[in-house]
Amino acid sequence: MLAAGYLPTNNAWLDSPVESGMQAGFGVYVHVPFCVHRCGYCDFATEAVANPADANDLFDRYVTALTSELTALATGAIDPRLGVTRWPKITSVFVGGGTPTILPPQQLADVIGHVCAVFDVTEGCEITVECNPETASAPLFDALFAAGVNRVSFGAQSFTPSVLATLERRHTAGSVPTAVALARQSGITDISVDLLYGTPGETDNDFRHSLERAIALGVTHVSAYALTVHENTPFGRQVATGVLPAPDPDVQRDRFELAQAVLGAAGFEAYELSNFARGPAYRSAHNTLYWRHGNYLGAGVGAHSHVNGHRWWATRSTPGYLQAWENASLDAVPFTNWPGRSGYEALDVDERALERLMLGLRVAEGIHPHDLPPLSPDALEEAMRLGLVETACGRVRSTSEGWFLLDEAVRVLFV
Amino acid sequence: MVLRVGVDACSERSVSLVSVPVANIRNFCIVAHIDHGKSTLADRMLQLTELVDPRLMRAQYLDKMDIERERGITIKAQTARLPYKPLGDVGETYLLNLIDTPGHVDFSYEVSRALNACEGAVLLVDAAQGMEAQTIANLYLALEADLEIIPVLNKIDLPSARPDDIAREIASIIGGKPEDVLRISAKTGEGVGAVLDAVVDRVPAPTGAADAPARALIFDSQYDSYRGTVVHFRVFDGELKPGDKIRFLATGHETVIDDLAVFAPEETPIGSLGVGEVGMLSAAIKEVGLAKVGDTITRATKDARNVPALPGYREPLPMVFSGLYPIDSDDFSSLRDALEKLRLNDAAFTFEPETSMALGFGFRCGFLGLLHLEIVSERIDREFGIELVATAPSVRYRVTLDQPPDPETNERPIAWVSNPQDLPESNRIASIAEPTVKAMMLLPSAYVGAVMQLCERRRGTLLAMDYLSEERVELRYQLPLAAIITDFFDLLKSISRGYASLDYEVGAYVEAPLVKVDVLLNGEPVDAFSAIVHRDEAYNFGRSMVDKLRELIPRQLFDVPIQAAVGAKIIARETVKAKRKDVLAKCYGGDVSRKRKLLEKQKEGKKRMKSVGSVEVPPEAFVSALRTPTVKND
Repeated sequence: MLAAGYLPTNNAWLDSPVESGMQAGFGVYVHVPFCVHRCGYCDFATEAVANPADANDLFDRYVTALTSELTALATGAIDPRLGVTRWPKITSVFVGGGTPTILPPQQLADVIGHVCAVFDVTEGCEITVECNPETASAPLFDALFAAGVNRVSFGAQSFTPSVLATLERRHTAGSVPTAVALARQSGITDISVDLLYGTPGETDNDFRHSLERAIALGVTHVSAYALTVHENTPFGRQVATGVLPAPDPDVQRDRFELAQAVLGAAGFEAYELSNFARGPAYRSAHNTLYWRHGNYLGAGVGAHSHVNGHRWWATRSTPGYLQAWENASLDAVPFTNWPGRSGYEALDVDERALERLMLGLRVAEGIHPHDLPPLSPDALEEAMRLGLVETACGRVRSTSEGWFLLDEAVRVLFV
Repeated sequence: MVLRVGVDACSERSVSLVSVPVANIRNFCIVAHIDHGKSTLADRMLQLTELVDPRLMRAQYLDKMDIERERGITIKAQTARLPYKPLGDVGETYLLNLIDTPGHVDFSYEVSRALNACEGAVLLVDAAQGMEAQTIANLYLALEADLEIIPVLNKIDLPSARPDDIAREIASIIGGKPEDVLRISAKTGEGVGAVLDAVVDRVPAPTGAADAPARALIFDSQYDSYRGTVVHFRVFDGELKPGDKIRFLATGHETVIDDLAVFAPEETPIGSLGVGEVGMLSAAIKEVGLAKVGDTITRATKDARNVPALPGYREPLPMVFSGLYPIDSDDFSSLRDALEKLRLNDAAFTFEPETSMALGFGFRCGFLGLLHLEIVSERIDREFGIELVATAPSVRYRVTLDQPPDPETNERPIAWVSNPQDLPESNRIASIAEPTVKAMMLLPSAYVGAVMQLCERRRGTLLAMDYLSEERVELRYQLPLAAIITDFFDLLKSISRGYASLDYEVGAYVEAPLVKVDVLLNGEPVDAFSAIVHRDEAYNFGRSMVDKLRELIPRQLFDVPIQAAVGAKIIARETVKAKRKDVLAKCYGGDVSRKRKLLEKQKEGKKRMKSVGSVEVPPEAFVSALRTPTVKND
């Protein structure tokens, strides 16, 4: 039986959390949508730029718009509904894409410099840049390091050529060690590698090989994701028409377990469903902020922001975004009519509770008892009986069996 | 300006209500197969008699229900009163009453009543396709009713028309000479005048006693939410007027006529209707069950007390049964309301509450046939917005119980079972009998072998085989009703490339080795999936249900065995393996909203799930598992 303390009855989980929500830190996400090629599985906001060398004008316009938005975010009046009078200190910055490193190195470094200039950034703030291996170079990492970047995440996806081909990735397996070495030489030692598993055609051995290659690189962090086929992508259409076999969920479960076994044996802790770190210090602070239901501001095409139950997001169209910011009056940008915004929602308590739950159960430790939204005792009992969740030191967390069935756990818990 | 036909008294077209002597009345119907052009011919007749303003004309004027127009069939009969001056006759006006008949085997009783309201029938046959089984069945009904038959070939303008062949075929069935068959194109109007002339010349005028107590035959009744039941009838004797107190002989219901009208073709009030005339009345009749098709209307006066009923009345008899359950259990009371409303307008269907472990609360409903079932469920969905699960159609079995005979009758007790759930344990059963039908199929001789094989597989007994010509064969089989209410008609059509046609009439109860097949999910029998089938078909039925459910039951957190069983014996088994992945691998800033909304939607879906034991089954799985026929044929 559960102690009464497991089942909070007021909104303390929202108003005065211990480690979630506003206690999780405060982040800035910057999106750079450009890619040389849009991969078949990708459903991010991206913009294909066949020849980056010819795209300087576009890059300039985008960086100008991005800079304007960051300035407006940091220095403009904060809408009172957000429940914040001034932005807290930034604890993490993440530059993602697209391919951020498609931008000329100094231009990218300047964007990061601008973030640090307009916001109040904590000492030791994690600053991550996503990097495609084929864009790696010494000048790039030198510029990023100089701008304060202390973490790089490489989109390796696989070390098997045929899998990379299926995924339509443009780099070779061999380019990843070179890229990692270059980053290290510039002084960036916190390095993550992204892997995808369950790609049609990939074998258990292919994935084991990829894991081993990643481990051999001596990186501090590995993200390993089950390939998800989204409907409105080329992969989605190929699966719908039978051209491409759909990823097999049983195979993905096997690979999920394989990743835990292989990475675990190499000293990585599985601290989130798809994320592994060489130790607590190497966890991704920025992504942990998401899973802890924290607050963050997003800038750029398709970027999402979330502050205390208010979420808004920008258009996924690069031309639309550019036009909005190029026509905006930058003196006093109104929150309610933010240039390029395509959606806004104010979440009610139930919606926030669902999010707290579905995000918090992704993390190995689960949710702090004080931060846990009210749950029906019967539902919790049922989820435990089904072996989906467990309690430990008052925290509610996914069981190792239930981790890959987390959606089911949330549906059971959230009656 | 829109000219309303017959309604505006000032309109010159109101001449249609001019009355004529009985000798100038002709009551007739059109016997035809679906698609042979009955509605087009009726439309053309309306135009020819100048009853319908061309601007108000819509295709198939007489088919009023949406479902009918969509399916190109007539469910409810419509009538039209057509004043007509034959070309040859100077000044002589005739009143032609066209009584439309329902066009489906489920409604053959209604057809027979409509035919009995007539003296003649136009036998309309597609000059390209020839006679169909249903046409012949209705033709036989018309001959039984002693009607004058006017054979007509339609669609003679089609390139594929074979008028000489088909005319010979018609002549061989009804007698007479091929040259006597009229040839028309209802589409172009060619020859339609000759059909009307033939109706005038050859159909006998009605006979009846004008001074006798009134007697009228109900050939249709429809519910109208403003006026109650609207009764369509044909007067045989006497006269009916608004204000008359009337009685329905079969139900004993008495009421007073509020309105009397004819269809010209829009409803038009009239002061009285006498011998041979056709019209409608409304009399604040709450439901159609009080004024049933085939019943006799008389005056509720003392002198009419001993008036004999017109022959041929029969209580509607449900033949096919199905459990109707709302997908959303909150809709139960709305479903009851809907069924009650439909029942107001449909005396032929029955319903009573029943409970299913799997589907919750619903109703066991009885229908005349499969189309009737489909129409009712479709109307519930369309007109009342209630999503339904319908259990597999079943027939009513006669189960003789293994108990000592009644000392008086020397017969063992009988149980009637229309829901497989209610079948007693096999050790309590002495025997089971199932309803059969006498089926008539007309087909090109090339397909005889294939069709006979189909009938054999469906446990048919050959009754007769006649070659109507070298190319066309009439096959008669006794078949279990249960064997033809699933996919028999579809199979017949597919093996004969669409050329075979089918009609049937209800036959006797025949004993057969029948067993109940249960379907178990995770060891729990699912009552909604149980079926009574022939012993030899049990395995195929069980196997196909199990195979189908393996695809339909979503993976759960544990392995779910799906079994088919006869008694304690498992005859087929599959397993839905436990699901091992149910999570979004990646969830960052932009994914949160989308993921939350997806989970909220799934949560709603979870609420709709029907719980069988501990297995969650989406209602759609029931719909799909029960919709398609489950007996394999190969």
